[in-house]
Amino acid sequence: MISENKKTLAARYGMSIDVDRCNGCGSCMVACAVENNVPPANANATDRTGLTWIRVFKVDNGLEGADRRSAFIPLLCQHCGHDAPCVSVCPQQAVDIDPATGVVGQMPERCLGCRYCMTACPYHARYFNWWDPAWPAGMEKTLNPDVAPRMRGVVEKCNFCHGRWHAAKAKTAAEGNTAIDPGDYMPACVEACPTGAIQFGDLNDSSSLVARNARRAESFRLLESIGTDPKIHYRSTKAWVRDTAHPPRPGKENARG
Amino acid sequence: MKQSRRNIFKFAGGAVAGAFFTPAPWRLITDTALWSESWPGIPRPVRGDVTAKFTNCGLCSAGCAIRARCVNGQPVSLAGLGGGLCPFGLTAHHLPFHPARLTQGPVEEATAAVKARGTAGLAILDLNPGRTASWTYRRAMASLKGSYLATADPVAYDLSSVRTVLSIGTPLLDGWGTPSKVFPARRNFRLIQAEALESRTAVMADQWIPLAPGTERIYAQQVLATLRGRDTSPVAAQLKANGPSVVIGDAPEVAEINRLLGAWGKSVVARAEAPAPDSWRKEAAPVTALDTLPEGSVRTLLIDESAAASYIPWDRIAPKLTADALVVTFAATKGGYVRHATYALPIAIYPEFMDDLGPAADSADPAWRISAPLVPPPAAVANLAEFAGALAGISASNTLRERAGAIHKAGLGTLTNYATGNETALKEVAAEDFWKVLSEGGAWQNVAAKRNPPEISTAPLVPAVVGAAPDLPLLAIREPAQPALVSPLMTKLYQESNLRLAPNRVALHPDEARAANLRDGARAILYTHAGRCAVQVTVDSAVPPGSVYVGSSPGIQDICSPAAHAKVVPA
Repeated sequence: MISENKKTLAARYGMSIDVDRCNGCGSCMVACAVENNVPPANANATDRTGLTWIRVFKVDNGLEGADRRSAFIPLLCQHCGHDAPCVSVCPQQAVDIDPATGVVGQMPERCLGCRYCMTACPYHARYFNWWDPAWPAGMEKTLNPDVAPRMRGVVEKCNFCHGRWHAAKAKTAAEGNTAIDPGDYMPACVEACPTGAIQFGDLNDSSSLVARNARRAESFRLLESIGTDPKIHYRSTKAWVRDTAHPPRPGKENARG
Repeated sequence: MKQSRRNIFKFAGGAVAGAFFTPAPWRLITDTALWSESWPGIPRPVRGDVTAKFTNCGLCSAGCAIRARCVNGQPVSLAGLGGGLCPFGLTAHHLPFHPARLTQGPVEEATAAVKARGTAGLAILDLNPGRTASWTYRRAMASLKGSYLATADPVAYDLSSVRTVLSIGTPLLDGWGTPSKVFPARRNFRLIQAEALESRTAVMADQWIPLAPGTERIYAQQVLATLRGRDTSPVAAQLKANGPSVVIGDAPEVAEINRLLGAWGKSVVARAEAPAPDSWRKEAAPVTALDTLPEGSVRTLLIDESAAASYIPWDRIAPKLTADALVVTFAATKGGYVRHATYALPIAIYPEFMDDLGPAADSADPAWRISAPLVPPPAAVANLAEFAGALAGISASNTLRERAGAIHKAGLGTLTNYATGNETALKEVAAEDFWKVLSEGGAWQNVAAKRNPPEISTAPLVPAVVGAAPDLPLLAIREPAQPALVSPLMTKLYQESNLRLAPNRVALHPDEARAANLRDGARAILYTHAGRCAVQVTVDSAVPPGSVYVGSSPGIQDICSPAAHAKVVPA
């Protein structure tokens, strides 16, 4: 599986996120939780132990008072294209890159819960199930039947709504086609975003909106210098927002508070 | 090899040690993980027929069009038609199962108590005005000589044709209007946001003007003075130069500013309601503002808290009540006015019952949408429209149908069918089909209706003053209001990340928190002149020094009005 990410992929799904259009409403976060049967927080959960496959972070330009400016950056699994650190460290082969889609998948059935992948992920986009999944009485009726809830003790993360990909694939096959229509496959966060800040599509299709946005001058990727080839492309017209994508220089880690 | 006890132990020990060099124990670990997959405590999602239902979100007057994905008739996810949804609307199908939901109440006892009181000093407080139920309340109050109290905002804005918008503290891009209307319009206008905190709207604005907390009205007066030629404000100059412009805000000066900008009657219009039967209008009690009611004049107060996004602090209501007043609240949650009420009666909530939606703040044209139920309501819930109707001898069971008949009779506007996406002129639709489409997911709108300017208040504009309170050194900044009941999944935003301020929290600048000896997550007491409230503290450098950013829980709203003087001390 690991070697297959070196091959040419049939599709290379990715996102383009316009940071300037994100108002931090959190719709993407709750839409993701609804779609993927992520439970509400345990009473003891914190921002370090919670389960948020996509999390919107507020960043600022480091200035105070009237000069302060903020932006919201939705952070999810970056679906690294090359040498995904989580793939190489997993002792259980519970993480792989799907050669058909380029999606970095996580198989909770294989996961041992060692959390090496969480340590290895430079984006902190993986989450561990510290507690049994629990919903208020009756709310389990609202679970999505296309996604199995995960058990305590395993790691989980964004998979570009794999259930939706399966549904789109089934629909395509039923119609006698081979290629998924872009309109049939859209992750829940993309569909939910009220400002249209998140776009999704095949980066291998150079005519797709997401591929065109990825080529724009103001487009950037997080920690691009470490060479993981992430498939989440951000863009902003503000230079200080683009600068947040670079790793902090040694000794400067806490300069922004 | 000689068979001895020693050799048997050596062989067994060697076998155990050797086993670790075989795949067997490692495979066992994997299998253990596999077995854990079928723990009985993990819920199994129900499978079945997948269907789509359509409705309008009933959580606020924006009334976004909704497509619900249902499995065996039970909604498992909601999506917006023609755009995204706010996080509250996306998770509304969880609300019937909320642990804080009010499910029981003494309906018969409350009915008997209200009847025993008689009709003298009777009033209904409608926190979600503009609906058909509101007409029933008004008719009932007219019949019973009672008062109909509402907080309706008479103004609607058309942002589709403006080039510059100055928002003074309004959460324009954060729940103020319909996302599918506001965000497409946003691409065409320059947004200037003036407020104390860099809010979610300010982040997306073209220009953010940081104001000192509590000085929003002073700022509005400065803009007004500039438009009148008595002051200089660069923003007012921008509004004049880059018109058409509009100003949105709560300050009383905003109406006059819009009139001087030429927006009054064009992009600022009277909020238009859909047609209602003539007989209703003739029989309806007038809308009374709570503040104009004499003190100690209400003996029986009935409160409609259904889908209420607005909350009136109890200290504004309490003086209007007699000492022995009977307060009956029709509520979905154990928060809100339940703490102050004599009786709290449970109600059906969206998406359980059929209700219509009042006109939205960003809808300049008359529209009518029904929030059609997606799931059946629980047994033994009360309904204020039927309760008040029964007191007055008015039938309230078929009022939505009657309203639809009145709209159809007028024959104006178009009908949108969400299931098919078709838009049809109303005069081409039969009355039965009109009702069927509306009750299964649709909307009526009349974009050709004449727009009327709102009435301008004749109250004199007095200079704004920010007072001082040495014992309460902080000024409060309020989080925008949110629905009274929200999904348990909102913990993703409140607890598992710090994206939104939880309703029971306050946020302080690190310097203020340090001075008060409070750390992030600490339990504290919020004090104001109106009282005290237990809160939790978030430390956030985005909060301006000298202020406290407060959540929107009813407990906090009861004691903390916007720009109230406050202090936070450790609990």
